[in-house]
Amino acid sequence: MAKEGANIDLLFRNGLKDYEVLPPVEVWNNILPVIRKKQRPVLLLRSAALVAVFLSISFLAYRWSREITNSAQNPMIAVRDQFIPTRENTTNILEINKQPSNRQVTETSIIENPTDEKPWAEFIGEEYIESSDSEIMTEARAMSNTGNLIFPPSIQVIRGFSYNNEIYNTGNENLNKFDFEVPKEKMNRWSISAMASPTVYLQPELSSSDISSQISSGEQTRLSYTGGVGFSYKISKKISIQSGLYYASIGNEVDGISSFAGFHQYDYTKGDHNFEVLTSNGRIFTDNADIFLRDYSGDRVQTMYTNDVFDPAKANLSYINNSLFQNFSYLEMPVIFRYKLIDKSIDFNLIGGLSYNLLVNNSVHTVIDGNRYNVGKTEGLNPLMVSSSFGMGMEYNLTDKFSLNLEPTFKYYINPFNEFSGMKSHPYSFGVFSGLSYKF
Amino acid sequence: MPEIRNIIKGCLAGSRRDQELLYRRHSAKLYAVCLQYSGNDDEARDILQEGFIKIFENLIHYKYEGSFEGWMHRIVVNTALEKYRNKHNLYRVDDIDLIPEPDAAPETDDYAGLEAVDLLDIIRELPPKYRMVFNLFAIEGYSHKEISQMINISEGTSKSNLSRARIILQKKVNLYTGLKKTVVSG
Repeated sequence: MAKEGANIDLLFRNGLKDYEVLPPVEVWNNILPVIRKKQRPVLLLRSAALVAVFLSISFLAYRWSREITNSAQNPMIAVRDQFIPTRENTTNILEINKQPSNRQVTETSIIENPTDEKPWAEFIGEEYIESSDSEIMTEARAMSNTGNLIFPPSIQVIRGFSYNNEIYNTGNENLNKFDFEVPKEKMNRWSISAMASPTVYLQPELSSSDISSQISSGEQTRLSYTGGVGFSYKISKKISIQSGLYYASIGNEVDGISSFAGFHQYDYTKGDHNFEVLTSNGRIFTDNADIFLRDYSGDRVQTMYTNDVFDPAKANLSYINNSLFQNFSYLEMPVIFRYKLIDKSIDFNLIGGLSYNLLVNNSVHTVIDGNRYNVGKTEGLNPLMVSSSFGMGMEYNLTDKFSLNLEPTFKYYINPFNEFSGMKSHPYSFGVFSGLSYKF
Repeated sequence: MPEIRNIIKGCLAGSRRDQELLYRRHSAKLYAVCLQYSGNDDEARDILQEGFIKIFENLIHYKYEGSFEGWMHRIVVNTALEKYRNKHNLYRVDDIDLIPEPDAAPETDDYAGLEAVDLLDIIRELPPKYRMVFNLFAIEGYSHKEISQMINISEGTSKSNLSRARIILQKKVNLYTGLKKTVVSG
């Protein structure tokens, strides 16, 4: 009985060992929403983190710009540069600024900077008042000497004194005629630009294995393009930050893969990816049941329909083409800093920053009689790519508002296009952006 | 083919493509296991669905030790066991066995013409408790002690169920092979 049992056990164990049955389609359709729902909080957290980082950078840039602006408008700096009170100019001011009471301004009522140790001291008659003394001294002096010396508000601010503006202005409206403020140069801080560029994408050499060399030698990047709208904010005269939204289309041609149409009548499995093609950007999965692929020159096509199983010539399939075309599109959001090196009629800027690239389109096609014939998709592409950009920007001012831009830019992708294939390839690209910008 | 490590990594990163790829690669084999443990297609579909959800949820705990297929297989078998226990935990049917002991069937070594699909049909016709014990003992290789703990029966019941399962299977196999021979010769 034990022997009998062992036999029947073996019969079932061996008979069912590698048995496979395709499950109904709806099983995956039921699984997917459950696992996606559980992953959604993680994705939301990542998105929130990304937004938080972006907002933080924007806030810091804004604060920085404010600080620079304030220091540029600070009267202390302005006075030191442009209005150093000397005996001559102070006297002139006071002469012009005669008081209604017609009291004479004496030569002793001047402001000087006698020594470095006592940078801001004043001599009024016999009095010597340290500028570091506070408002008590100022007010006392002001009360007693308003007839001798009237300090304009800006000077008071410079000296760190607090004072009541009304006291000094009483009866001294003429003071308002003097402009002690530094004349402001109006700066167009914002600009919006429309730029486009032809772009060449390059892949670094893969490892030296047979399949890698087959892949590398059988591929060529097609001319790609990038275009979009950007806006920038001038933090200071030299530095600006730029962002925007760009659309980048990238193409890759895979040579030596023969494609045939009419396979659906022989596709007994009715699988939706009968063929897989190894490329440097990842693995192409066919999703067109009518397509048949074969690599006559290598082993890049993986399928159960191998040479010894299926011959497209005998099956009378229609030959389409010998190349596959991979197309990827990304929405790009850059965060770029510009530093103005030369500020002449043609400005030269140094450009550097990061770009976030969101995959929005991924398709593979072949071409028959000029028409596209869908093949499938490249699997496992990273949905979010981060690239670093370096470049040199030239800006020619057509008018005060409009300028022409030319920006040769080099980009290096920090994360690989595709980690799925096991061939982590970090592409790089070179493009020359050109366009118009408008300042406001 | 992409390394399983890359696919797992992609799944953990939330890549839908990798998740689908993992499912496509392994679902057919695991669905056959589900069919083997279930009496009807609906039950098999439920086991596969729940099993794969557990696989995706627990991928982070997979330590790359041993076969990944084996790891997934165990999860699916455990899911089938769970379903069986939920369905049969209201009463211990094993001790109230009303099915009479079948007569021993003559054994033959001539299984010519029996295909996997036939074996699957035969095994699915077994009563659930026999099917479960036979699968766990004969296919998975568990001992009677382990089986008794898994499905909450005594070791003796496990042995008895196995014995009955074998007799029924032998009879059905004889019937199938006989029928096939008749069809071929006729």
